[in-house]
Amino acid sequence: MDFMTALDIGASGLKAQRANLNVISMNMANMRTTKTMEGGPYRRKSVSFEATPVYSPFDTAMRDKLNQNLQGVKVLGVTADERPFKQVYDPHHPDANDQGYVFYPDINVVEEMTNMMNATRGYESNVQTITAVKQMFQRALQIGQG
Amino acid sequence: MKGIFGSHIHLTAKVMDMRLDRQNLVMGNIANVNTPDYKAQRLEFEGKLQSALNQDAHGKMTRTSQDHMPSAFSANGFQGDDLQDFKPRHIYGEDRVDLDKEMTSLAKNGMMYNALATVIRKNFQGLQRVIQDGAK
Repeated sequence: MDFMTALDIGASGLKAQRANLNVISMNMANMRTTKTMEGGPYRRKSVSFEATPVYSPFDTAMRDKLNQNLQGVKVLGVTADERPFKQVYDPHHPDANDQGYVFYPDINVVEEMTNMMNATRGYESNVQTITAVKQMFQRALQIGQG
Repeated sequence: MKGIFGSHIHLTAKVMDMRLDRQNLVMGNIANVNTPDYKAQRLEFEGKLQSALNQDAHGKMTRTSQDHMPSAFSANGFQGDDLQDFKPRHIYGEDRVDLDKEMTSLAKNGMMYNALATVIRKNFQGLQRVIQDGAK
């Protein structure tokens, strides 16, 4: 249990939230993308997080019990959303099908914005925790200065 | 024999240790604020420390006479309780990390830690002062 552990946990949080934000901006940027490499319109992506132990198994065995419960966070993966595409009638669109319909990804701006706010706040709170720990570290150093 | 450092310094150091532990746990909670199924963890030590202090100040055995020596509180033997068996209710929104609560406990904890660091620093400053004044 030390300061560097605390910073590692904070860093894992920052990393996860940043990954989340990246995916959200990707969704927003592609909200009207009708063509992708895999073919078909863009599929909305979402990030899944997993709480992960901070220590390696060896450390876990060696250190005292309290430390074993410390958990950071990691990005488990980015999954494609399976919700159906939005159908819009627009016969003059280059990607319109025989019936004149174009398929757009079903991306809700409000939903994405909410997720974005969530991720931003999460990021900020992680920054706060790191700042707090840095202050604590400073104070601990000052003990030695008499 | 009394050493140069009073026992309260060890106690303060121990409490700082526990506070750092708690800081780590709270950081873990905050890092997992968006993780589904994550249960917030807590570390409780205040009550236990208080009782450990009382117990040790009066001795673990019943003192039959005031002249008997109380056993000294040992900071090394003390540990906080990790609330593992804390069972959250599984209602959506109830058992997830409460950011308000975590941030508050983070701020509180950090402030207490800094205060303790100041206390310990003042302890050493006082000690130094006594030594220096004696040399004059």
